[in-house]
Amino acid sequence: MYLTIKPFLVLLCMAGAFSYFFYKTKALIDLMRAAPGGVIIDRIPERTFMFLREVIWQSSVRRNKPIVGIAHTLIFWGFLVITVGTLEMMVEGIFHGLTISSLSPTVHGWYVFISDFAAIGVLGGVAFGFYRRLVIKPDYLTNGLDAKLILVFTATLMISLYGYNMFRIPLEPDAFINSYFILSTPLAAMFGLNGASSSLAFAGTEFFYWVHLSMVLGFLVYIPNSKHLHVLSAAPNIFFKRLGPEKAFEKTDFEDESLEQYGIANSTQLPWGMVLDLYACTECGRCEEQCPAAMTGKPLSPKKIIHDLKVDLLSHSKTIREKGDLGAIPGFVQNEGEISPDVIWSCTTCRACEVSCPVGIEQISPIIESRRNLVQMEAAFPAELQTVFKNLENNFTPWAFPADSRADWCQELGVKQMSEHRGAEVLYYVGCAGSFDDRAKKVATAIVKLLKMASIDFAILGKEEKCNGDPARRAGNEYLAQMLIQENVETLNKYQPKTILAACPHCFNTLRNEYPAFGAQYHVVHHSQFLRELVDSGQIPLNNKSDERITYHDSCYLGRWNGEYDAPRALLKSAGVKLDEVERRRTKGLCCGAGGARMFMEETIGKRVNIERTEELTAKKTKTVAANCPFCTTMITDGLKDANQQDDVVVKDIAEILLEATGKG
Amino acid sequence: MKIFVCIKQVPDTETRIKIASDGNRLDLAGAKWIMCPYDEFAVEEAIRFKEKNSDATVTVISAGPERVKEALRTALAMGCDNALQVALPENADSFMTAKALAKSIAAEGEAHIVFTGKQAIDDDAAQVTQAMAEFLDMPAVSVVLRAEYGANQIQAEREIEGGSIEKYEAPMPCVIAAQKGMNEPRYASLPNIMKAKKKVIKLVSLADIGVTADEIKISYSGFTLPPERAGCKMLEGDVPTQSKELVRLLREEAKVI
Ligand code: SF4
Ligand code: SF4
Repeated sequence: MYLTIKPFLVLLCMAGAFSYFFYKTKALIDLMRAAPGGVIIDRIPERTFMFLREVIWQSSVRRNKPIVGIAHTLIFWGFLVITVGTLEMMVEGIFHGLTISSLSPTVHGWYVFISDFAAIGVLGGVAFGFYRRLVIKPDYLTNGLDAKLILVFTATLMISLYGYNMFRIPLEPDAFINSYFILSTPLAAMFGLNGASSSLAFAGTEFFYWVHLSMVLGFLVYIPNSKHLHVLSAAPNIFFKRLGPEKAFEKTDFEDESLEQYGIANSTQLPWGMVLDLYACTECGRCEEQCPAAMTGKPLSPKKIIHDLKVDLLSHSKTIREKGDLGAIPGFVQNEGEISPDVIWSCTTCRACEVSCPVGIEQISPIIESRRNLVQMEAAFPAELQTVFKNLENNFTPWAFPADSRADWCQELGVKQMSEHRGAEVLYYVGCAGSFDDRAKKVATAIVKLLKMASIDFAILGKEEKCNGDPARRAGNEYLAQMLIQENVETLNKYQPKTILAACPHCFNTLRNEYPAFGAQYHVVHHSQFLRELVDSGQIPLNNKSDERITYHDSCYLGRWNGEYDAPRALLKSAGVKLDEVERRRTKGLCCGAGGARMFMEETIGKRVNIERTEELTAKKTKTVAANCPFCTTMITDGLKDANQQDDVVVKDIAEILLEATGKG
Repeated sequence: MKIFVCIKQVPDTETRIKIASDGNRLDLAGAKWIMCPYDEFAVEEAIRFKEKNSDATVTVISAGPERVKEALRTALAMGCDNALQVALPENADSFMTAKALAKSIAAEGEAHIVFTGKQAIDDDAAQVTQAMAEFLDMPAVSVVLRAEYGANQIQAEREIEGGSIEKYEAPMPCVIAAQKGMNEPRYASLPNIMKAKKKVIKLVSLADIGVTADEIKISYSGFTLPPERAGCKMLEGDVPTQSKELVRLLREEAKVI
């Protein structure tokens, strides 16, 4: 009797669960398809390789967190294996006796052999998961019922699998595959099931069959509404993610007269790539752990903003999918809402979040798009930025200095200008800091001395140079940024320099990664890279090496944005310096607090980021801190002043340290 | 209700002053031109008035050469409804400007309020507001920090020396000249900038309003740059030594006592 109705029962349960699952996932897919933006799939071989490495081999989960990563890898691999068996169980439930053995007993044998191991691996991973969520409880981890429930599901799923196998052995004692149950057989012996009566064996098998099946189907029903949606979305998100560290913000086409919205105001405007990002988040909190805003008490957490955006998007899912009253959908930034303007303005665009995210989410993109909307559509931004915008419009620099005086810093240095020396080998793009900021002018001077020492044929743009556009762009004023960029592009294209040397990582990044979209593709180098080459080729003789211990600070825009961590270190080492590395370095380097135009905004909430960073750097008790960015230099110097340590520790640019090592400083 | 705002386009505050080779004027080639910051308060005040009074339209006027259109567009982007350029030559003085502005406003119809900035930051003459009010036969309150607009009169608070406040009441129509701090001028939104680009700016010629070049009363000659500021001197030692040294320097070097 039971065996007659079992197939129908199984079929009924499966149909219910699967239809619900498909209904839910279809809604998610439809929501994503309703989003703007086209799909361009380029560089397929590279993407496939990355997919294999990060998804199948799970390298991105183990990166920075090896133990958690191994636990996840065990669960992931285990599931890949066990899912085959689960499918087999479903089929067998409907067509009694149809198993892998029906195809090939040997294959079946080997399969159960592997799956016995896989299940114990999963249980190990789950055990660690429980330990982490119940005992360690890291702050950054969203530790809700959701995750724990999934762990219970998973554990039950594995235990029921062993239970099913253990009772199957006495049920079919002569089955070919029994000798392959490397773990289930001894377990069955341990529980004294070997001599079990056939009715007990049958009851046990069926019991665990149903437990297993209901767990699997429950899982299916549960996934689309939980953070475990990542099981479906993380893999495609990784496949489509950005290849390499270089990133340029989306260029707005201001020539397009049909454009009515600048930036993103509400969830209907999120492009599909961002929607997929939202689906993919696992709430693992790795981003929040690294975020300078989150760790200093700002209202921004990259994990939270992704989550809040997802909640907002899903709350309008029906309207968006059915093309209802889209105009009535409110903006996601609301003064008293989860995403307040302070959330949006707290970001330093340090990119620690994006680099640490195991599933390739780009948390900065919605933040910048949101800034674009606030600035350009609503003219709502921190008051300090108005002066900055005006200065940029009128003087082409964020500070109030006459544009005419841009080249004053080098009047006595005999630096040539491109207008009088068109064919110069190297165009030294000084940047606003190097041109106007007293501290950075000294660095620029050091660079000029080094270039002259190495007999480099270089020139600057002088008055023709304008701010590269970074602060305006990151403050969301894309229109202003593009005005600056376009004027610079015209100037650069007039001179067609072979190499552009930038001594500011922000100039370097923008010129290198953002200008190509505006028609200026040049070979751009940061001074750490350029000087390193000169030292390596012996063009800068170092006769006065020091053996000072120095603490080095990675800048976000040289490091995470461009993947350059080694050149500055190599340069310091060649100057004889002993590097004292801090804990948060390289990909985990902590921001100084200045990026994302934060340099020009007040920082009134929580602890100041520069103080947090300065404390870490000075803990090494070296007399010098080395930096490679004028803004980092300012921020850390301010941090030192704040701690009254300005007489004990100095911040120097790597170029200054190198110049000292030449003995001709 | 017609509201007018008069704005002047001035070289950016950071412009380096150069004297033209004839010595009789400034060389402003290559200067970055902006709307005079005091006029920004006037524009903002006019727009805020309009936002509260739906029947008000704001016309922004600037007297000067072709380039002033740029400042007019900025005002349009901030929210003014119409713009008017009075084609004045570069060497127009305060008298001529005031007259030209007054006549163009009169030609536009009955003004309710005329807003201006308290002075322009280039020549700092602070003449046009009062002279224009005279030509318009309107009362004027200048250096205004706060104004309340009644149906027929305006109550204005103006700042006087020492930070004190004077309160005035003036019947409308009248001229109000804004002081810094009257409001926070807005930053134009991008859609408004785009719209402002397409708006037509009405051009008024001198002939239209019957003003001639004879109205120029002032001519300039013999510009020189102020002497370079000498570096500052830090006095060392305790207070008595510093005081003695200060007196000695004032007497012997500066020769002021
Ligand atoms: S870019 Fe940096 S500051 Fe911004 S959210 Fe990411 S980690 Fe936080
Ligand atoms: S955004 Fe990425 S790093 Fe942050 S919680 Fe989500 S999955 Fe983790």
